[in-house]
Amino acid sequence: MNAIKVRPLYVGIDLGTTNSTVAVFDGHELTVVRNGQGSILTPSVVRIDGRGNVLVGARARRFLDSDPANTRSEFKRLMGTAHQLEFPASGLVRRPEELSAEVLKSLRQDVADQLGVLPERAVVSVPALFELHQTAAVSDAARRAGFERIELIQEPVASAIAAGWTQQGSNGPWLVYDLGGGTFDVSLLDTQEGLLRVVGHDGDNFLGGRDFDRVLIDLVLSKLTADGLVIDRANPQHGPALRRLRLAAEDAKIELTRAAEAPIAVSGLNLGDRSADVDVVVTRSEYESLITPLIDRSLDICTRLLAAHGIGQGVLERVVLVGGPTVTPLLRERVRAALGAGFGEGLDPMTLVAQGAALFAGTVALDGRPVAPAAEATGPKVWLQFPAMTSDLSPFVVGKLLDQSGTVEKIQISRSEGEWTSEPTPCEADGTFAIMVSLLPRQSTSFDLRGVLADGRTIALHPERFSITHGITLGDPPLSRSVGVALADDRVQVYFDRGSPLPIRRTFVLRTAEVVHPGAEGYALKVPIVQGEFASAHLCRLVGALEIPSSALHAVLPAGSEVELTIELDRGGQLRAQARIASIDQIFDHVALLVTPQVSLEAMSDALAKLRSRAAALSRSAFSDRSSKTAARLSTALPRLDDMQRNIDAASGGDLDAGEQARRELSDFDALLAEIEADQAWPELGKKIEDSFAMMLIWVAGYGHDAEKTALNNAYAASRRAFVAKDAEEVERQLGVIRSLGNAAYFRHPQAWEWEFQHRAARVGESTDIRRASELVASGQEAVRQRDVVKLEQIVRELWRLDPVDRHEQSLGHGSGLRSR
Amino acid sequence: MSARDLLADWRGNPFFVLAVGTDESRADVERAGQKLLALLAVGSAAADHYQTPFGPATRDADQVRQALAALRDPNTRVLHELWANVAQDGGTALRATPVDGWEAADRAIGWTKPWPD
Repeated sequence: MNAIKVRPLYVGIDLGTTNSTVAVFDGHELTVVRNGQGSILTPSVVRIDGRGNVLVGARARRFLDSDPANTRSEFKRLMGTAHQLEFPASGLVRRPEELSAEVLKSLRQDVADQLGVLPERAVVSVPALFELHQTAAVSDAARRAGFERIELIQEPVASAIAAGWTQQGSNGPWLVYDLGGGTFDVSLLDTQEGLLRVVGHDGDNFLGGRDFDRVLIDLVLSKLTADGLVIDRANPQHGPALRRLRLAAEDAKIELTRAAEAPIAVSGLNLGDRSADVDVVVTRSEYESLITPLIDRSLDICTRLLAAHGIGQGVLERVVLVGGPTVTPLLRERVRAALGAGFGEGLDPMTLVAQGAALFAGTVALDGRPVAPAAEATGPKVWLQFPAMTSDLSPFVVGKLLDQSGTVEKIQISRSEGEWTSEPTPCEADGTFAIMVSLLPRQSTSFDLRGVLADGRTIALHPERFSITHGITLGDPPLSRSVGVALADDRVQVYFDRGSPLPIRRTFVLRTAEVVHPGAEGYALKVPIVQGEFASAHLCRLVGALEIPSSALHAVLPAGSEVELTIELDRGGQLRAQARIASIDQIFDHVALLVTPQVSLEAMSDALAKLRSRAAALSRSAFSDRSSKTAARLSTALPRLDDMQRNIDAASGGDLDAGEQARRELSDFDALLAEIEADQAWPELGKKIEDSFAMMLIWVAGYGHDAEKTALNNAYAASRRAFVAKDAEEVERQLGVIRSLGNAAYFRHPQAWEWEFQHRAARVGESTDIRRASELVASGQEAVRQRDVVKLEQIVRELWRLDPVDRHEQSLGHGSGLRSR
Repeated sequence: MSARDLLADWRGNPFFVLAVGTDESRADVERAGQKLLALLAVGSAAADHYQTPFGPATRDADQVRQALAALRDPNTRVLHELWANVAQDGGTALRATPVDGWEAADRAIGWTKPWPD
């Protein structure tokens, strides 16, 4: 206990869909913390009884069977949505993040009970594919649980750190296959000389052990129907019975990992108007045939990730399995066969994420102990920067003397055990210094910091002592999906590409699409923030918006006003944004992180019907064009329409999670159909490449620099290659390069600005601000007469900004009030 | 991409940003990057600018992290090595020689059909 109080306390929490875990790291040892019941797993279940008492974990889980209405589980999948969960006995209503906060609070107390310190800071894990509003909900939950500061870490990165920590010394690419209760994440990692790098992620936010339960329940329901007992997912009265069946199915699922068959027996099921007893037997082979498509779905995602990074069969060094469902024997067999690599040994799939989160807290020096009152400074203050953990045995320690009265000339660092001392190193004129230190391998090394005076005497500095742990160096985690701003023409201004290292911050200057007026209510300007890989904003997921209220604006913003928009993402994917409008000297930074709006069942049914007819039209044209590839893609995709129908039915029976899943699947399916439709229009894209190249060639050849000519040639060859490889995203990217090279060269033609001016002047009546546009045209005509090209360019640029907004495109662009030029 | 953008790109080559040679080991690159990040964090006067064959440039922590990420990936590192080495030759490819007319266009651009008819 004393050692813990002296050493740092790095706390890592795995907030899981089914179970949650907490681990601590003290710079030397990793410990998984046991809860009050002596278990390392705390079920993510919360119960609120009639008197408002809150129960968490195993004690709450016991009531899932007998009192499901007041006992909630799996709320993690609803984080960041607008759902409210009711507890009828007490009349209370809680949001998913409030329930997660109860789980976090309980884990925090477990640390206090076991180690005597109530942590104030911690690292909490989130699925890599969680969208921005979902990660924001996790931060909110942690704050509600009493943590004063938290860092988020992506779950696969956490698993990777823990696996990398316990298996140091191995080099090469490896995979973390993480199948949790509700989400599937796969990450490709690479370790070289102790540097751990996340190469890429993929996954499915709605694939998990819960789906294994669902197919098992479907099987049980069909067996019951055959016996004449109909339990209907769409009937709200059957909800409690379904929940009890699910609990029994979970137990059977565990039994089927060992036994050839398992009974599912539940008595007194409440079906509203009557009660029924259930007793069916499920065999392992029946169960395995049902989960095989789910496992294969996860393996397809693994193969896609490996292919995206050019990793062939047999190259993977190992696969690390994380999550409860990975103990399923069939899953292990199929993963091993498909990926051709052995499993990391000695790693606990249930606690790996929490262990990694605790180690990560160590690498970012996030000590959970309450801050002790600062000790009396013993010498001049130094601002120190060093890695809390590194794979480098000789890292640099960098510092700056904050008190530069000139007495300290040099700095000396020595290991506290006395076996190594640096040369006295002179400080730069601004007081900075950098000293390479020597670490002891595989442990935490403590160093003393001393200042050397002009006469050679040494004095203590503040801080006097610090320590560095030799372990792994973590490369910055990559962003799992591109982030950008939706524009009023349904395009996306990409801020961060997928794979960009986090944290990241970028500023672009955008322009208002129309005149914006101050007012009393409503939003004057909307800046929608989207995530996804599509060029059209409406296909990307809206994850937040920076909304500028009319009442906050001090003055009218003319169309085309500059908005300097900065977006920032931290390591855990938390979003911040700021809009600066220089012309009125105002800054806005309130990002409304969207809770996903609840979509009505009618709207989802309508959307499903539209998707069905679009899919049918595509099937017909694939048939008449004899396009076997499109037909094959459609035939594998079409069963998903029935899954969506099932989920919409279950949602109408009160299953909130199924409703969320349906909402997301509808949007994914929309994107899939858009892709197939684009594929069908493929020959037109080939013609577009030829046309663009032919048009731009003459300009670049005539007015481009040599480097631009080479770049045009390369872009053309690359677009042809991408066309042959059917890589639409790359074709569009290369076409963008061809267009910008051509445009740059075109505008070097002496008459280019005049041509552009005449074109705009002819359409002045369509401008968003006709009065201003007419003034500009008048001055432009004067500039033409005077051959003032510089002025003409300015006028044309301003006329561009007054181009009309297409309302349909704007609504597709999530109502954005911005454009890119 | 205009010539100015190309120059900006070249100035931003990760090897120049981190002030390391193209033959430095992965561990040395990492160490240099971590040292730079620490120096930038404490506000070192010398850390926020660097030299390139095209003149001096400025850097911040974000650029250093991006540069480190680019060089950690062996595939992108190879590309940046190539460009850094070309840049060391003085960037002759940036000199402009305009041509006139359609006939000269194909020839000037050195264009050959990259696929069979």
